[in-house]
Amino acid sequence: MTNKDNEPQDSARVRSRRRVNQRLRDAVSKETSGDLKDVEIPPKKLDWMKRTYQWGVKADVTDSGLTIGALNVGIYGEIPDRWDDQSRMPRGAYPMPGVPPIGYSISEKRDLWADNAADLYEEAIQRRWTPATDIPWEAIGPLPDDVEAAVCQLCTMLCQHANTEIETLGTWLHQMSYGYHEVKLFLATEMFDAARHFEVFRKRALSNGGGLGLELKGDVKRMIIESRGGWSETALLLYLLRGLFTFTIYRYGSILANNDAEKAIFEKSVQDKARHLSYGLEHLRYAITRQDDKDLVFNNLLGIGERLVARECKEPIVLEPLAVIFGGGVEGAQSGMRTAQRLMSDYVNLYLSSLRSIGIDRSDSLSNDLKSYLL
Amino acid sequence: MSVIFPSLNWFEELRNRFNSNQRDNQVGVGTCDALVGVACGEKLFTVQFEAFECTNVMELEDESALENTDFYLELHPNDWKDMIINIKENNGAGLSFTLNTLDLELSDGLAKSWTEDQYRQDLFFRFNQTFQYFFDASADVETVFEEMDIA
Amino acid sequence: MTISKEELDLAPAVREFGEDNNLDLSWLDTRGEWGVRAEPSKRGLTLGDIQLGSYGEPGDHSDNMTGRPRGARARNDAYRVGGYKIRSKADIWLSNAHVLYEESLQRQWSSATDVPWNTIKPLPDDIERAQCQLATFLTEVEFVAAEVPGRWLAATTPDYFEPRMFLISQVMDESRHLDVFRKRAFANGGGLMQRPNVTTSGTVGSIDLSNDFTEMSSRLHITGEGSVLTIFRMGELMAYNEAEKTIYRLAAQDEARHVAFGVMHLRYLAETEPERKEEIHCYLDEGEGALVAGNQNPASRDTAQSEALAILLGGGEKNFDEGYRKLMAVRKRQAREYVQRVRSAGFGERFENGRANQELLAYTR
Repeated sequence: MTNKDNEPQDSARVRSRRRVNQRLRDAVSKETSGDLKDVEIPPKKLDWMKRTYQWGVKADVTDSGLTIGALNVGIYGEIPDRWDDQSRMPRGAYPMPGVPPIGYSISEKRDLWADNAADLYEEAIQRRWTPATDIPWEAIGPLPDDVEAAVCQLCTMLCQHANTEIETLGTWLHQMSYGYHEVKLFLATEMFDAARHFEVFRKRALSNGGGLGLELKGDVKRMIIESRGGWSETALLLYLLRGLFTFTIYRYGSILANNDAEKAIFEKSVQDKARHLSYGLEHLRYAITRQDDKDLVFNNLLGIGERLVARECKEPIVLEPLAVIFGGGVEGAQSGMRTAQRLMSDYVNLYLSSLRSIGIDRSDSLSNDLKSYLL
Repeated sequence: MSVIFPSLNWFEELRNRFNSNQRDNQVGVGTCDALVGVACGEKLFTVQFEAFECTNVMELEDESALENTDFYLELHPNDWKDMIINIKENNGAGLSFTLNTLDLELSDGLAKSWTEDQYRQDLFFRFNQTFQYFFDASADVETVFEEMDIA
Repeated sequence: MTISKEELDLAPAVREFGEDNNLDLSWLDTRGEWGVRAEPSKRGLTLGDIQLGSYGEPGDHSDNMTGRPRGARARNDAYRVGGYKIRSKADIWLSNAHVLYEESLQRQWSSATDVPWNTIKPLPDDIERAQCQLATFLTEVEFVAAEVPGRWLAATTPDYFEPRMFLISQVMDESRHLDVFRKRAFANGGGLMQRPNVTTSGTVGSIDLSNDFTEMSSRLHITGEGSVLTIFRMGELMAYNEAEKTIYRLAAQDEARHVAFGVMHLRYLAETEPERKEEIHCYLDEGEGALVAGNQNPASRDTAQSEALAILLGGGEKNFDEGYRKLMAVRKRQAREYVQRVRSAGFGERFENGRANQELLAYTR
C-alpha cells in the first residue's frame, strides 16, 4: 500500500471475490430493462425547453482555444452597470422566481470591473506552474550562513506578503456579484497564485539548512485587511502599495538568486504578480473614470498608506536581508544596501508611473519617507 | 513481438511503455500513488503507481491479497479483450470503452474495493486519467489473447 | 523591534560591523528553528517533504493571531490583525490536505485548450437543449462550490495552512468548472437556459450559510460534491463527442479530490473529537434529506435538470423513459457511493441504527 492514509476502515472484512460471469452488454440491459423495469416514470413537463433569452449562440474557437472572453456574444456579452440579482444565477440565464437572496454587497460594475479580467484568467491558467516539480530544487547548494539567513528572512517576508493576499481576496471574493463572473474567475486564479507563492517561499526557506525568520510587525497587512470601505479601496492598497513592492523584489530576483532554483522561483513568480497588477491597475482606472471623487479618495488613502509602507520598510528585516544577499554576505552589506536603495527607488518610480497611468499624479504629494528613496 | 493477455509479461510491457512517456497529449495527469488490482477470470495482478511512474507489476497467487489494493478492476475476460481491441483500433479507448464508462455501465462497477472503503476506491476517480493512459498504452502492444471464455 | 537584548547573540564582530555601517542585523540571530534541510523526493519537493521539526504538524490549538508563517519567530509587537475564528485543529484538519493540494497542482487543466472543442458537431435540437439545460444548472451549482470554501480562508489561522491551501485549489477547480460548462452552453449553437427551479442556497441547512466549517464540509464535500461527482462520471454516458467526454472526465478527477477532502476531514474529527459525532450526524441527516429532495442533486426526480439528463441518457426526447431508467440506475450508484463514503469517514453507524434517510437507502438496494 502506498498511501498511508488509505488504511482499511471498519468496514473491512474477510470476503471472497464474486466472479464476473456476465458480459458488459448483458449487465447494462439487465439493469435498465430488468431491475429498473418497474420504476415509476413521472410525466414529462419539458417546460424548460423553450426557456432561454437567446438561442443559436456559437462562440468562436481560436488559436487560443475557447476562451471565457469569447463567450461574450449577443445578450450574453451585455454586462450591466448594476447587477441586482442576489443569487448565483449565471449572467444571461432564464430567471426563475422565488430564489432566496444570498446577500452580495458588491453589485456595481464600477466597484470591481476590469476589461482585461477574462483574458488574464485564461493567461493564468496557461501559465500555471508547480513548485514541487517545476523548480530545480537540486540546484540549491550550501550558502554562507549569513546569506542563507538573509534568503530565509526574505522568504519569510514574501510568505507573509502572499498570506495577506490570500486573506484579503478570501475576505472580498464572496461579496462580489456573479453578474461579473469574469472578475471572480480571475481573482480565483490570483488566490491560487498567492497560495503557490506562499508555498514556494516556504519550501525555499526549509530546503537548504536554514529555516523561517522573524515575522513582520504587520503595518501594511493591517492597513490592507482593515480596509473595509470597498473593494476598490482595498485593491488600491493591495496592488499599488504592497503589490508593486513585492513585484519589484521579484524583478530583482535575477540579482537575488544564488542558484537556478531561486532564479526559477523569481522568474515564475514575477509573471504571476505582473498579472495581478494588470488587473489591479485596470480596475482602479475603471473605478476612477466612473466616479467623480474617486481619485480624491484614493489620494487620501495613499497619503496615509505611503507612510505605513515607509514605516514597514524601515524595519531591519525588510531591506537588510536584501542588502546582505546583494552584497554576498554581511561584509558586503554596505554595498548591497546601495542595490537595495536602487530597488526601493525603482519601486517608488514604478508606483508613481502606475498611478499616473490610472489618472493620479502624486509626484508633488508623495510622502517624504518614500520620496527619500528616490535616487 | 506479441504478448499474451492476461499475463505478467503483458503488464510489464504496458509498464515500460507507460513510463517511456512516448504517448503525448496526456491532459489532466500528474503524480499518482495507488496500488491497483486487475482481475481477469482466475488471473490476478497488481499495478503499483508511485509519483509519475508505474513502479511495479505483480501476479497474485491468492485473491485475499486484493485486500492490499486501493481498488481492483474486474471485467469479464471477453470484455477485457473487447476493451483492448478497442484501444488498439482507436489508438486509445473509444467512447464506450473508457474505464469510467465501463465502471458506470456495469451494475457492480468496474472498480471495486475489497475492503469496501469508498475513500480508497475513490482513487479510481482521482487518478482516472492516469489509469486510462496506462491502459491506452496497450495500443502500442501487439496483444494476443489467451483462450479463456467462461461465458 | 522589541527583541530583548538577551535574545540577541550576534557575533561581536557582526554587531560591531552593523553599528559601524548603520545596520541592525539582529534578525540574523532572531529566527525560527535553524538547520532544516528538506530533500526533494521523486514527487519533487512537496509540502509533505517540508513538514520537519517545528515546521511539521501544528498543535491542536493555535494562538497565531498575526498571520505569521507556522514556525517563524513571533514578536510581541506584531498586530493581532488576523481575527481567525478557526484556531482549533480538529475544526478543519485532515491528515492529507498537503497531499491533496499537491495533487491538485499536478492535475490542473485548461478549459480553453485541453478540451477538443472542434469535435462538437451540430446535435438534434432536443439533445442540444438538454445539454445546455444541464450546463446552465452545473455552471450555477459550481458557483456555490467556487465561493463557499473561499469564505473560510481568512477565517483560518495560517498555522493550519495545508487545508487552507487545499480549499484555495478547490476554489480554482470550481471556477474552471463553472467556466467550462458556460463554454459548453455556447459552443454549439445553443445558449443558457433556465436557472434551477429549486433553491440551491440562501436557506438554513444550505451549504453557504453554515457557521461551522465541518457543517459546511459535510454538505459541500460529502453530499453535494459526492452527488455531482457521480454526474460528472456519468457525463461519459451522455457525451455526444470527444469534447464533452473530456470535460466530464477531467472535472470528475477534480471533484473526487474535493470529496476526498471531506471524507478525510470527517474521519479526523470523528477520531479526535468523538463528542461531536452526534452533532455531525444531524448535519448528515439534513444532507441526506437534501440528496433525496434534490436541491443540489441533478439526478433528483422531476426537475428541469433531471428531465434533461433523461433525454441525454436516452438519446433523445423519444427515448425519455429509457433515459429516465438509466438516470435511476445512476442514482442508485450515487446512493451506494455516499453510504460507503460516510462509512469510510467513520459515521457508518447511521446505516445500522436506522438513523439514515430511508428513502435514500432504498436506492442502495
